[in-house]
Amino acid sequence: MRKVLQLIFGDPRNVTSVALALLAAYGLSRVAPAASGALLVLILIAAAAIQAF
Amino acid sequence: MSAAQWGGASAIFLASAVEWVEAFTIVLAVALTIGWRRATGAAAAALALIAILVAVTGAGLEAAEADIDLIRAAIGVFLLLFGLRWYVKAVRRFAGRTPLHDEALEFAQTREHLEQSEGRAAWVIAFKGVLLEGLEVWLLVVALGHALSYAAAAGSALASLVAVIGVGFALQAPLTRVPENSLKFLVSCAILSFGSFWAVGGIVGEQVAWPLGDVTLLLLFAAYAVAGRVVARAARASRPDGALGVRT
Repeated sequence: MRKVLQLIFGDPRNVTSVALALLAAYGLSRVAPAASGALLVLILIAAAAIQAF
Repeated sequence: MSAAQWGGASAIFLASAVEWVEAFTIVLAVALTIGWRRATGAAAAALALIAILVAVTGAGLEAAEADIDLIRAAIGVFLLLFGLRWYVKAVRRFAGRTPLHDEALEFAQTREHLEQSEGRAAWVIAFKGVLLEGLEVWLLVVALGHALSYAAAAGSALASLVAVIGVGFALQAPLTRVPENSLKFLVSCAILSFGSFWAVGGIVGEQVAWPLGDVTLLLLFAAYAVAGRVVARAARASRPDGALGVRT
């Protein structure tokens, strides 16, 4: 079961990165909805970069 | 099929191929220990379980009367979780921070493990190996199939399985020449693109968030692909010599 959950969600860093990106995109969508997608992409790339180093 | 559907079907085909190659290595190692008949029996049992999972969850999601935007947003979030995990792993492997997945080593380790196992234990190893790799295929088929088409999604995974089995049986050896990391990287870019598109589209509204429509998927794919290679190059350049991480 643990393995299956890991397959779906990944490790805590993975979950945190996606949650942060979604929260930030949601927050920005209240003031600049057209930019929220770009922000999500940037945060995910930054999260990947942090984990790659 | 639309361009987005072709993209989704291709992503499933390639992602499944990576998983089936890894599963084939395990089945091959087991077959050389307990024979092809029992090893393929174990693999077939695991595949049957995966097929049942796909049918049950697919039918359940289709029958669900939830808002389509809500379902797409939920699937988008799931794809982001799944895609980011693969993306980070592939970038780290390009950067030399994590060793590349080595099918020959995997084969040798499984054979070594099997030498100390009895026939039934070997059967279980083949069953579990195929099941675990197949579960990732199931997740993708269900996630992408809901928004694209279950027939196309399941068909892509099945076509991929047939291709890997065909090549594997012809070679009778681990498929070491498949560029697993490059495939995994490309697939993760595609999964992240679909995930971003649907997750943000579900929150904000697709027309507002992505005014260019389906073309956005190509732009997102390009952005993730270019950024991933740039990050990998930078991470490789700053890597202390010989600092390879734990094999995952």
